[in-house]
Amino acid sequence: MSAETLRSALFWVFATLSLSLAWSVVGNRRLLRAAVALMGVLGCSAAFYALLGFGFLAGIQILVYVGGIVVLLVFLVMLTRTQALLEDEPTPWRHKVGVVAAVGFFVVNLWALASLPDAAVQGPVLGGDTRAIGRALLDAGPQGYVLPFEAVSVLLLAALVGGIAVARKVDVAALPPAEANHG
Amino acid sequence: MAELLHAGGSGLHAWLLVTSALFSLGIYGLLTRRNAVGILLSLELCLNAAAVQFAVFNALRAPGRVDGAVMALFVVAVAAAEVVVGMALFVLLYSQRRTVDVTELTGDGRDSAGGPP
Amino acid sequence: MSYAASAIVQHAWVIPALPLLSFLAVGLLVRPFSTRWAGGVAAASVALSAALSWWLAFDYLQFASPPGPLPTLLPWQTEWLRFQEGLRIDAGTLLDPASVLLVVVVTTVSALVHLYSLAYMDGEAGYGRYFAILNLFTFSMLGLVLAPNLVQMFVCWELVGASSFFLIGFWFDRPAAVAASKKAFVVTRFADLGFLVAILLLGHAAFDVRQQLGAAAGDLQALDFAFLGRSDVLAALASQAPVLGGMTALTLGCLLLFMGGAGKSAMFPLHIWLPDAMEGPTPVSALIHAATMVVAGVYLVARALPLFAAADGALTVVLLVGTFTALFAAAIACTQDDLKRVLAFSTLSQLGYMMLALGTCDGGDPTGHSAALFHLFTHAFFKALLFLGAGAVLHAAHTGDVWHLGGLRKPMPLTHALFLLATLAIAGIWPLSGFFSKDEILAAALHGGHPLVFTVGLGVAGLTAFYMARVYLLTFWGQPRREATAHAHEAPLTMVLPMGALAVLAAVAGFVPVSRWVALPGAAVHTGIDWAVAVPTTVVALVGFAAAGWLYAGDLGRSEAAAARLGRLYRALRHKFWIDEVYLWVTRKLIFRLVAAPIAWFDRMVVDGSMHGVGVLTRLAGAGVQAAQTGQAQAYAAWALTGVALVVGLLWAAARAG
Repeated sequence: MSAETLRSALFWVFATLSLSLAWSVVGNRRLLRAAVALMGVLGCSAAFYALLGFGFLAGIQILVYVGGIVVLLVFLVMLTRTQALLEDEPTPWRHKVGVVAAVGFFVVNLWALASLPDAAVQGPVLGGDTRAIGRALLDAGPQGYVLPFEAVSVLLLAALVGGIAVARKVDVAALPPAEANHG
Repeated sequence: MAELLHAGGSGLHAWLLVTSALFSLGIYGLLTRRNAVGILLSLELCLNAAAVQFAVFNALRAPGRVDGAVMALFVVAVAAAEVVVGMALFVLLYSQRRTVDVTELTGDGRDSAGGPP
Repeated sequence: MSYAASAIVQHAWVIPALPLLSFLAVGLLVRPFSTRWAGGVAAASVALSAALSWWLAFDYLQFASPPGPLPTLLPWQTEWLRFQEGLRIDAGTLLDPASVLLVVVVTTVSALVHLYSLAYMDGEAGYGRYFAILNLFTFSMLGLVLAPNLVQMFVCWELVGASSFFLIGFWFDRPAAVAASKKAFVVTRFADLGFLVAILLLGHAAFDVRQQLGAAAGDLQALDFAFLGRSDVLAALASQAPVLGGMTALTLGCLLLFMGGAGKSAMFPLHIWLPDAMEGPTPVSALIHAATMVVAGVYLVARALPLFAAADGALTVVLLVGTFTALFAAAIACTQDDLKRVLAFSTLSQLGYMMLALGTCDGGDPTGHSAALFHLFTHAFFKALLFLGAGAVLHAAHTGDVWHLGGLRKPMPLTHALFLLATLAIAGIWPLSGFFSKDEILAAALHGGHPLVFTVGLGVAGLTAFYMARVYLLTFWGQPRREATAHAHEAPLTMVLPMGALAVLAAVAGFVPVSRWVALPGAAVHTGIDWAVAVPTTVVALVGFAAAGWLYAGDLGRSEAAAARLGRLYRALRHKFWIDEVYLWVTRKLIFRLVAAPIAWFDRMVVDGSMHGVGVLTRLAGAGVQAAQTGQAQAYAAWALTGVALVVGLLWAAARAG
């Protein structure tokens, strides 16, 4: 079994796993299970990155996405749990709209992408991308990404501050009068 | 078997098939979930599919470069920002209305049940 | 010395400008911050204006060359509207004996009423608003009086009407006050329509004359009083071809002018608004509805007297209307219960006297003109005093119904004395002012060849004495007929002081040689007392007093018996001859039903209908697309995705085709 064959086999395994878990993300009636399934989908995506030769990306995916963002989402699911929404089952009408939109998008997308010539993964598998990505991110030249990098850092800071500002519980009535004026 | 896997397997079309399917599933969830958090989950699915797509094009169409990988990285950062803000919004929403059902969020909110006292 | 040396004559515009500035300042700047200052500023500005107008009168008389008549001056004039060559309208200050006289009367009474109001209106919610509008009124009235042409007069005429409307409706939370203000506005506005048409008609006719005259017209404009008063112009106007019903534009214009004047001066049958106008604050009644604004009609006719004299029969109409109103209103005044309403009808009657006096000029003898202005002058003081006295009574007893008052001479000795003086003055008792001016009117009627008018005037003098004595006796003598009346107290000093000042003026005004100053060329100037008039008037006044004393001083049962014996006449008088009811019938039954209702139907069905049709169409179109606006974010997302799919599809198809 060559490396190519192994890679191909792994791809199909993870693709199948990813799609079935994704189905669970959008279809499972219990939201907590959907969140856990999302964790799985993101894990499979990490495997995809690895298969494509981006080891660094795979690591980031696990660390940040699975370990950070999804955990946040799980918290969110727990924080906003209501009896009425315990079972999230779409009505037939919504289901139909969703299916039409999703299938329509899928068909149009494939139709558009089908014209691209096929290609296969070449070059080394795993490793070697960390240095290149780091250079690209901090390169101020015409091929570099330092400006988007800084922009994203500002975005993250803004999101952080905004998140705190929005979620902070402001009870005006409970504040002392002097402070209420400033608040 | 090995040839089949190799030939029709991990080629560009196969990758695009998978990422498109993932994205479409995300759209389905986006449109059918009533729970706002569920919508957020579906959105993550879409974002992730797009990020993988970037990496696929990078690896298969421009090997030796990392532009797609950098984009995937940015997508992860944007997703993090989105989840932070979304979480803040939904927690606030929940504390005010005791629900995160988007189908009940029509109008100005004064006439819906469970509003602030 | 000449008028050029007199600062105040050259700058007479300052006198109306002060109240205007004060109106703006009080209304916009002071009132929002301090109501207390609003009253002070308003009163101070008018008081300054009054002082300046006394100075003006002094200089105007002092610098006149002694032998001739007093001059007509136009010290300040500015172009206001220019339509074409020979049709220009100016704003300016016309100084002649009549306007100087009126300026003094208006500013003096206004200043005293301002002072009186400081205490009278204290604590009212609209204190600042009240003073601002009182200032506006003073400005407008002065502008009217000083107007050198008909248009400025008309503009200020409307302004005084508007101020009157605001002040009658001052207590706009009282339905009666609102109704009264609307009534006053609508009735006078209807009459003003006549004024406006008269301006157009006379302006058109006079402009033609001006074109004919050419260079002889000089710089005078068609609507200037100076132009309209020239003998060549009047002759040309009188010889013009008839325009309507055999009347020349001059005659028709004069009759319409008189319609405007009759509306403002509340002549029969346009008198109905004045008694209701008593719903306003009493100082307003004193200033606007007794002393100044209501005499504007008299002033207009006096100012346009050359026109009226040249117009065929116009002065006869004035004479008849004036005489009838004098009698009619005096008779009604004898039966009214409300103190202020009696005074209102008394005002009507006295205005009728003035119109009557102007009407006696129809023989070509302008003596009546002097008499009318003289009576205007004296009436302003004693009638304002009567109203302020009534206001003091109202302030103390909280009612104006004479059957609830009584015995007020003990708690209010000062008010009582001043009211008595004014009563004697209006009844025409020597040596008070009413005696002189009323006698001059009656003398003008007698010597002008109107014996019947003289007789009616004499009867009115008797009625005047009767109704004034009646309200005086019922208010101040006998026993208090109600609890609140018994607890009445004397008015505060700021109210008594203006009344005292007016009392002095009302007492001595008769000795001011007003009729000599304002005399037109050819007018007879009386120097002494005309015994043929003075004796009968004094006798009928005393008879009126005696009758009132017999009916109302002792046993009140006698008055009831007298009323019962009069029967129908008494009921008619009490109901003011049902004139209001007639008006209501005409407006409701005839105008509303036959004119307004079809127009309203047309408006509703055709005009509104077409507009509604457009609205309904729009709404239907809106309802069609409304279904897309569900407020569901996911529905919008579905639409957006559909759009994305379409765009991608199109792009791809375009790429394939290209």
